[in-house]
Amino acid sequence: MTDCDAARRSLLAYLDGELVGDERQAVEAHLQGCAACRRSYAAEEGLTAAIEAALPRPAAPEALRARVARLAERSGSRTRRYVTFAATLAAAVALLAIGIGRFRASEARRNDLVSVAIDSHLRYAGGRLPLEVRSEKTDDVSRFFEGRVPFHLTLPDYPVGPGEQKFYTLEGGRLVSLRDDYAAYVAYRMETRPISLLVASAARAQPSGRETVTSGRLTFHLDSVAGLNVITWVDNGLAYALVSDLSVNGDKSCLVCHGSPSERKKIPGFSAPRI
Amino acid sequence: MGRGAREDAEFRRKTVGCLDGLFGFALALSRDRAVAEDLVQEAYVRALKAARRPLASDDVRPWLFTILHNVWRNERRRRVAEPLDDMPEILETAVAIQPSAEEDLDRGAASDSIRRAIDDLPETYREVVALRFSEGFSYQQIAATLDCPAGTVMSRLARARALIKKAVLATRVPRVVGGRT
Repeated sequence: MTDCDAARRSLLAYLDGELVGDERQAVEAHLQGCAACRRSYAAEEGLTAAIEAALPRPAAPEALRARVARLAERSGSRTRRYVTFAATLAAAVALLAIGIGRFRASEARRNDLVSVAIDSHLRYAGGRLPLEVRSEKTDDVSRFFEGRVPFHLTLPDYPVGPGEQKFYTLEGGRLVSLRDDYAAYVAYRMETRPISLLVASAARAQPSGRETVTSGRLTFHLDSVAGLNVITWVDNGLAYALVSDLSVNGDKSCLVCHGSPSERKKIPGFSAPRI
Repeated sequence: MGRGAREDAEFRRKTVGCLDGLFGFALALSRDRAVAEDLVQEAYVRALKAARRPLASDDVRPWLFTILHNVWRNERRRRVAEPLDDMPEILETAVAIQPSAEEDLDRGAASDSIRRAIDDLPETYREVVALRFSEGFSYQQIAATLDCPAGTVMSRLARARALIKKAVLATRVPRVVGGRT
């Protein structure tokens, strides 16, 4: 015969359906003959019911549901879209670096791409947006985004010319939300100044800005918002937004975007650090 | 559709079917909706890319919840650490409480205070409470999910229940005994 102490020790496991065979039968037999333990059992049973009733069972937000559905859909597909944008990114970073003038503050309504890019930049610069991957290696950061965003992203190394030093460093990346989906946030630093790159599917984000600069097949949209300069563009189905507090000037942007290192040296005011 | 494709489609269907439960668990762990969303998304990224996974005919929930818990453990390392087994003096008091008929809880009245009490539990207790009472996991499934012995699950559940009960009883208005009207 199980005593009260032994029965009490097994009561919760019995209540949770964890006891089988002899152990279960022993507790049941004890409960039949012990009114005090039956009261304890009833109290614990009541507590279980109360906890189950009180526990919130939140439904997942619709936006998350949609993202998970897309992930599942993509995981069943063998086809992936591989996009690289090495030259374009390097060009846009260089565009921010040539600092001569500033764009006028835009009165235009900012779109999602620009808003999220600026917000992310400010949060990162203020230490309120922790990176999910920290590395100066483009491969590490590109690998982090693999499967997490609805496109394939290969971060480029800045094409460095002879005698020229890379004038920005990669810091890492993380996911940020953009229109019910995730976009890739990539953090760079130029000396002590943060530079943010946001990459999203062009189906969900479009570039915008007060000025445009066409260079080859690409059109860069340039704007200045709250003291930050923003360049947005679309390439190969992806939308990009580059944000920095560095001064920019669109006048010479064509050469910067698609010029060789030697051509960039000809731009007044532009000088990448020397090794 | 071939057998492999059918299996794959069924696996994805069952996996996505766990979304609400996973979100609830992520919310119980993080207590932050935005963080919970990130945790769930990351868990699905890992699960759907996993080379080794259960069959669609298996119960995929423990496997999925384990992935989410691992994601959370990695995430919390980056955050300011919340002590996992804090409030030892409260625990000692709580586990010493013996249930009685007088302490039987009024479910309706206690619902809010129970919810608050669960929310105030240390993380090690919140997670077992969520898996046991929301998902109905067995001790063994919880142990596998949290990577700890089943005995630990059992003792954590007992302590969590005691803490919840203590918190709820503390919110009760004392009754006047032997008074006349």
